[in-house]
Amino acid sequence: MSELTLERGLAAFRAEIDAPTAAFFSSCVHCGICAQSCPFYLETGDPKYTPILKLEPLRLIWENEFTLLGKLKGLLGLQRKVTDAMLAEWEELLYDSCSMCGRCSMVCPVGNDLAYMIRKSREGMVQSGHAPEGLISASVRAIKTGSPMGLQWKTLAVQIKHVEDSTGLKVPVDQVGADYLVMLSSMEVINFPEYLEAITKIFDHAGVTWTLSTQCFEATNAGIQIGNKDIAAQLVERVVAAAETLKAPNVISPECGHAFTAIRWEGPNLIGRAYPFRVFHIIEVLEELRVAGRIKTEGKEMDRLSLHDPCNLARKSGVIQQQRNLMDLVADNFVDLKEHGKYQWCCGAGGGVSSNERAEPLKMAAFKRKKAQIEEVAPERMVTMCATCRTQLEEGLEEFNMDIPVVGLTEMIADHLVEKETGS
Amino acid sequence: MAARKTPEKTLGESLRDHGLSRRGFLKFCAATTSMMALPPSLAPAIAAALETAKRPSVIWLSFQECTGCTESLTRSHAPTLEDLILDFISLDYHHTLQAAAGEAAEEARLQAMEANKGEYLVIVDGSIPGPDANPGFSTVAGHSNYQTLMETVEHAAAVIAVGTCAAFGGIPQAKPNPTGAMSVMDLVKDKPVVNVSGCPPIPMVITGVLAHYLVFGRLPELDSYGRPLAFYGQSIHDRCYRRPFYDRGLFAESFDDEGAKLGWCLYRLGCKGPSTYNACATMKWNDGTSWPIESGHPCLGCSEPSFWDAGGFYEPLSVPLTLRPETLLQAGAVGAVVGGGLAALARKKVKDAAGTRQPVTVEELEQKL
Repeated sequence: MSELTLERGLAAFRAEIDAPTAAFFSSCVHCGICAQSCPFYLETGDPKYTPILKLEPLRLIWENEFTLLGKLKGLLGLQRKVTDAMLAEWEELLYDSCSMCGRCSMVCPVGNDLAYMIRKSREGMVQSGHAPEGLISASVRAIKTGSPMGLQWKTLAVQIKHVEDSTGLKVPVDQVGADYLVMLSSMEVINFPEYLEAITKIFDHAGVTWTLSTQCFEATNAGIQIGNKDIAAQLVERVVAAAETLKAPNVISPECGHAFTAIRWEGPNLIGRAYPFRVFHIIEVLEELRVAGRIKTEGKEMDRLSLHDPCNLARKSGVIQQQRNLMDLVADNFVDLKEHGKYQWCCGAGGGVSSNERAEPLKMAAFKRKKAQIEEVAPERMVTMCATCRTQLEEGLEEFNMDIPVVGLTEMIADHLVEKETGS
Repeated sequence: MAARKTPEKTLGESLRDHGLSRRGFLKFCAATTSMMALPPSLAPAIAAALETAKRPSVIWLSFQECTGCTESLTRSHAPTLEDLILDFISLDYHHTLQAAAGEAAEEARLQAMEANKGEYLVIVDGSIPGPDANPGFSTVAGHSNYQTLMETVEHAAAVIAVGTCAAFGGIPQAKPNPTGAMSVMDLVKDKPVVNVSGCPPIPMVITGVLAHYLVFGRLPELDSYGRPLAFYGQSIHDRCYRRPFYDRGLFAESFDDEGAKLGWCLYRLGCKGPSTYNACATMKWNDGTSWPIESGHPCLGCSEPSFWDAGGFYEPLSVPLTLRPETLLQAGAVGAVVGGGLAALARKKVKDAAGTRQPVTVEELEQKL
């Protein structure tokens, strides 16, 4: 039976080296600004969490095998080799202390995309058997059961029943030809069922045809988090198959940030072909509906609200203004965090950190950066649009005894919809 | 003979006595403003300040020098500016210009120092044989230059070293420096020293520094060599009207070739413009008539320290490659082929690795749990 070995890992690192990677490593000027952009380094003060150091295994492979200097060093026996022990040591650096938030890529003065290379390094880590247990379990469950949390349709069916009872509306399932196929994350099904209720209300209000799919309801992608394209591709294929069965022209990603990155950006490359549909984040859809005048709201939230931009949505996908327009629709007293949009700070839980129990202390340490940001503007509530961010914000604020509730933007919109006239 | 006191008249009064119109005065103020690289909005402020300024007493000391700096100042073809400047200050001692001679001349210096203690300006041209040198190398009225300098600056408000000899040692200090010549700033450590370097300096730069002192009551902002930034802030090269030829790689190769006739860049004929900081390229000489490079000669770099010993005047600063364009193209082509080959090898390595890559399966992952 085949197994994950160092040789496979090294081959995977080698296969990941491309022109951008070579250019990035050759142009690094060792300025250390990436450290100053990383919440894991800043909140621990430990220099080993400097983003560029996290890439040392990939860099060594590049230097040893792809550069003249590295080869000369090899002839003289001066090469530092990537060993199993080294990869074991780097497991913490590449997984526990990195949420792939991409802030380091943003600030690098020579334009090195560090998050891109972290993603690549994880390919080698998985192949060499050095991925964290939590992420391995999540990946196995995702492939075997369809959900990283082991959730099955029958759980969702119960939530659908609740939503239908409380709204008096039908939640469409397996409707062929609906405009939008809505994908969910297990987290939303279990922890935030109000999300499903909210989109049911909003789409009914706006007259949007949509559906869930029994074939595939989950679009989070453990393969992206652990960093393995085989697992990731299988999970993307399932979404594509479901959309093709229902002939859906549009697919709505779960609110979950990395799921959006997986299905929106990495998906077509993973499966090697273009989608027959378009992919949106729910925030993008809501903004389109707002612009088209299809969302009518009444009343506004009067307390002081601030917004947490999920990294995957804002920094990596450029969805920044949309959520602010939607906030203005329903909030009277909205104040942005000082650094927001593409320069926002990560909540600390993304990129697989929250699925990795071992990383819990680091996750909370990284959250302190967000906490400081929140304290700066002192909102009464925080608003966000990603289940992972939301869970982390809630846990973190509780940990630090800050009485600031966290709400989802989609739910807030749903709360302010103008009631339909009965009988129409 | 009564002690010479700084005249009580203000500059405004003194200038009107000399028949200068208000309009002429304001024109001068505007010129001074732009010359010192100050915003035009300051012109009225300068006018107001100059109008009421008292003329400071100035003692001009000449040491190991050629009088070129004085010539520069006096032979200027900008009569309004330089004549005015002589009215701006009370020039109480100057070998070349003063009428008095012998003991009366020295007496004038001592009286001016006594009467304006702590307030007079000392202008120095020429370098000074240092304290360890033979004092007889250069003397005035039986005193060594070093003695005279130290005695005169003791109660001065500031010292202005005019010309490269005073500022940096200049030609007397050139190797092997037989007189042990030193610059003013080598010797005067406890007074502000402004270096107005150049061999000679541009007259308007001398007057500009004085005007700045009169207007603001302090010395202008200086660069690391103690030179006023307003005049020495940019290199000759950066302001040179021949710069476009340099940028396009068009150089005169000799003084009589086609390039020289067409006015191309003089870099390869030894022009020191890139390493020389001065205002020649913008203010020019002889009332803005021309300047060395415009007349076809490379810049010597006379406003820089050690310019005399900085290699031959006609040797280019550095010419890293005298390759012909074809050679460069060929080298580029060879480089591209080699680089392309290496890139292909690297790509093959990645492809091989990707080709033999085994997909990760759930079973393999489970073994790790």
